[in-house]
Parts: sequence; C-alpha cells; structure tokens
Amino acid sequence: MNAADPVVQIDGLVKHYGKVEAVRGIDLKVARGEVFGFLGPNGSGKSTTIRCLLGLLRPTAGRIGAFGLDATRDGVAIRRRLTYVPGELRLPDRLSGMDFVSSIGCLRGGFDPARRDQLAERLRLDLHRHLRDLSSGNRRKVALLLAFLFDAELLVLDEPTNGLDPLMQHEFLGMVREARSAGATVFLSSHSLSEVQRAADRVAVLRTGKVVAQGTVAELRGRARQRIEVWFEDDPPEAELKALPDMVNPIIDAHRFTATLSGSIQPLIALLASHRVGSMLVEEPDLEEAFLDLYDGGPA
Amino acid sequence: MNARILELVGGPLRAMRQATFWWCLGLAALVAATISIWPAFKGSSGMSQAIDQLPAGVVQAFGLADFGTPAGFLRANLYDFFVPLLIVIAAVVLANGQTASEEASGRLELYLAQPIDRRAVLLGRAIAALVALAVITVVLLVVQLGADAAVDLGIDTGYLVSTIALCALLGALHGSLAVAIAGVRARPSLVLGAGIGVAIAGCVVASLFPLSSVLAPWRHISPWDWAFGGNPLDHATELWRYATLAVPSVILTAIGVLAVARRDISGA
Repeated sequence: MNAADPVVQIDGLVKHYGKVEAVRGIDLKVARGEVFGFLGPNGSGKSTTIRCLLGLLRPTAGRIGAFGLDATRDGVAIRRRLTYVPGELRLPDRLSGMDFVSSIGCLRGGFDPARRDQLAERLRLDLHRHLRDLSSGNRRKVALLLAFLFDAELLVLDEPTNGLDPLMQHEFLGMVREARSAGATVFLSSHSLSEVQRAADRVAVLRTGKVVAQGTVAELRGRARQRIEVWFEDDPPEAELKALPDMVNPIIDAHRFTATLSGSIQPLIALLASHRVGSMLVEEPDLEEAFLDLYDGGPA
Repeated sequence: MNARILELVGGPLRAMRQATFWWCLGLAALVAATISIWPAFKGSSGMSQAIDQLPAGVVQAFGLADFGTPAGFLRANLYDFFVPLLIVIAAVVLANGQTASEEASGRLELYLAQPIDRRAVLLGRAIAALVALAVITVVLLVVQLGADAAVDLGIDTGYLVSTIALCALLGALHGSLAVAIAGVRARPSLVLGAGIGVAIAGCVVASLFPLSSVLAPWRHISPWDWAFGGNPLDHATELWRYATLAVPSVILTAIGVLAVARRDISGA
C-alpha cells in the first residue's frame, strides 16, 4: 500500500438485518491524513458501516476495508492499526476505569501507563472509580482515552462527543487535530453538524443507508440555502429581483426584500451593485440546512 | 504464555470474582448444613422404616434407598439432585454471563474491537467459566471432606472425589452447551433456557425413566445417567463415565468457538 492509496475504501456496501436494509450501497474513500466526517441522523447507517469496517458485521454485499485489507477476512490486521469509540457505549460495570484500561491495554499490547495518566488528566477523568459509578460523559471519556492511548493510524470515532460538556468537546477537537498532525486519519461519525464543520476536511452525508452528498465542508456549505435580507434606500427593483435564478420565495415588503437563495449569490450581488442598498444580511449556512435540503429533495 | 493470552482468561475471571465467591459460599453452606444433621439420623431406624413404607418407585425416583446409610443419606440429600443441579446452573449462568449476556448488552464491543480473533475471546471466556467452576467444586470438595471427617461419615475419600468430579464435569457439559449456543446466537434468554432446560430434562429422564419398563432403556440418553448411573458414592467410577462428559464438553465448546466467527456480533 502506498501513501496515495485510500486508508478506508468502501465499494457498494450493502447490509441487511433480515428485511431491514440498514445500508443500501455506500461507496466512499478516505484519504490518508484527513479527518473525514460521516454525517447523518440516527438510523441512517453510520454505525452499521463502521461496525462492518471493524469486522463486527459481515456485509450482505459489496466490500469494505482499510489499509488495502478486507474487513471480513483481515479484521485482526485492520484492528491492529485502528482505535475505535463505539456509538452505543457499554462498559463492564464491575471494573474500575483503571482495570478496564489496563485490560484493553494488555490485550492490545504497546500500553504506556504514563500516556494513560496524561490523557486522564487532560480529560479530567478519575480512573480509580468503578465504571458503574461514572456519568455517561465520564464513561465516554474512558472510551476516548482508549482511542487516543495507542499510536493508531486510523481513529474510528462513532458519535464520540455524546454526553460530553462543551468544554470537553472543545478539548476533544483539539485531540483530533493533534492526531491528524501526527499523521493519523480520522473517521468521525456524528450527527452534530457543528462538530464536523470544525473538525472535518471532507464529509459524506448519509440518508437511509445511502450517501446523498459527499465533498469538502466548503462544498457542502455552498450547496446549502442562504437566507437573504436586503434593505433598499429606494424602491426595490421588483421585476429584476424576482427574475434572479435560484431565488426561492422572494418577498418584497416596502423597502425590504427577503428570499432564500439555493444557488450562487453572484447574480444578486451584480444586481445590487446598480442600486442604493442600505444594508444587507446573508445568514451563514450550516450543514443543518444542507441536510434539510438533501433530505427534502432526495429520493428515499 | 504471553500476557495477552493470560488476559483473555484473567479478565473474565476477575469479572466473575464475586459470583464465584457467592456460589462457593452457597454450596458450602448447603453441604455443611445438610451433613450437620447426619448425627441425628445415625443409628435411628425410624426414618428407614418410614421409607420402607413408601412405594418402591417413589423410593427409587427420589433416591431414598439406603437413606439410613451415609452414602444413601448423601445421595438423597445432596448428590442425586441438589448439588449437581446447582453446579449445572452455576456453570450455565457463568458461561452465559461471560458470553451471550456480555455480547447482547454491548459490553463485548470494545474487546472485540481490539486486534484479537473473536474465537480467542470466546474461548478465553469459556475457559474462565470453566476455571470458576473448578474453583467452586474444589471448595465444595474441601467442605465435603471436612464435614465427612467432622461427623465421621466414613465414606471412601476416592468415592467422594469421584462424585464431586462428576458433578463438575456435568456442569462443564452444560456450560459448554451454553457456550455453543452463545457462539451460534447471542441471546441470553435462549442460552439460559436451553442450558437449564436440558439439565432439568436430563435429571427427569435419569430419575423417572427407570420406573417404566418401556422407558428404562432410554435413561442412558441422559448425561445424569452417564455421571451417576454407576453410583459413584458406593463404587469406583469407570473411566468412560468421565470421558462421556468431558469429550462432548470439548466438542460443544469448539462448536461455539467456530460458530462465533461466522456471524455478526450483536450491538447494544
């Protein structure tokens, strides 16, 4: 495998649970050293895809793998090079955090107690407490600690910030950036759009088991609708405004013009340049809006 | 043996510490309490006469023959039914708790996400359950031998060791059945139901089939008959009886270990 080969490669992945079609044909590649956002609401197939990648589930059809290896056939070799935070986190209640981390460290090998202590301090996590006594946020920190404890080439993080407070979410994003700087690839599944916007280089958006959009964060944001509000100092050029392309639901109310823009803003700017404009508001799109567009318009 | 292999068994064993302790305590208390009443029976002919009044079938079904002898007393009160059944239940519960129950709850997910073959994970847990079962039966044996000496039962030590070893192997057989089912499908209710159900069915077959001339030959299908059909408290146990319990245990464990590699892992 050379450096240009994708770290994660998914070709036509299909996964059925009986009659339920959880994943219905996913194709994507994750390049080495990138943070890849895997976005979608609950039940869209994110966790199923990830569990196929780890070799925990067997694909119904298609192929999924990492590092040029097949997840079903070479699961152990793939898992040796990745760490994982499960979306639905269940930990052995009877163990203390310290015992659990030591147990996983022993099974994995290459366990560094000093690094464990540094991470615990950074995450403000008391590993001496029993796991059953920890809050959901602190349990999540245990899983995060394990994900960052080993020098993995790939971090597979499924809804990693569930239950974390905003301060700790910020800390987590810092840890992701540091891992990427160190050369790791990050596969970040989330339904938290702001989290992915801040962390990811590229994004795939899932809907009912299919990828409905894929590209850089900037590209997806460009596809999102923008809410436009313009105050004219004179009467607005009504006919010209309503003739603009990609303008949805344009309303002119005295000197105020409002609309939702679903395409390029350039024609509007060109028109406004020849008129007296008092003020203008363009609401910044986020991926939430991109989601809604994709989900409103796409086939089920 | 490297640290990883030790941890595959040691981790589940640590998780079973409390359960193992309580099973040891419960069985030890049962044996000690039961044997403590032996001196009251010793030399008393009243109970034996009362049993003689019962129909022969009832006496045979409930293991009451020779109730007035030390071996008959132990059989009727402990080793015909209660102790083997409790050991079987312990084995099934412990095996289920480390396999199907852990997987179905999602607690196995982070272990299976490590670079370890899932067959090794299941085998490690099956061995850990077997070790816990061995600890329980060794404690039982020590208490039994101590009680034997304390009230002067006078039963051959070798016969006691054989009887308790057969109980342990009967437990291992049913625990292995639990592992086999857990390997095929991680449904704790199915594993518990099948494991304990087979144990009760086997006990009923071994106890009641001999009462019917038609069914009597079929009593040999019961593992309970394989274990205790030779009356191990009174006679030396033939080697084949150990083998008929041990060999299927190995086969059932292997079935579970092989099956788990061929299916999806349950999520939380």
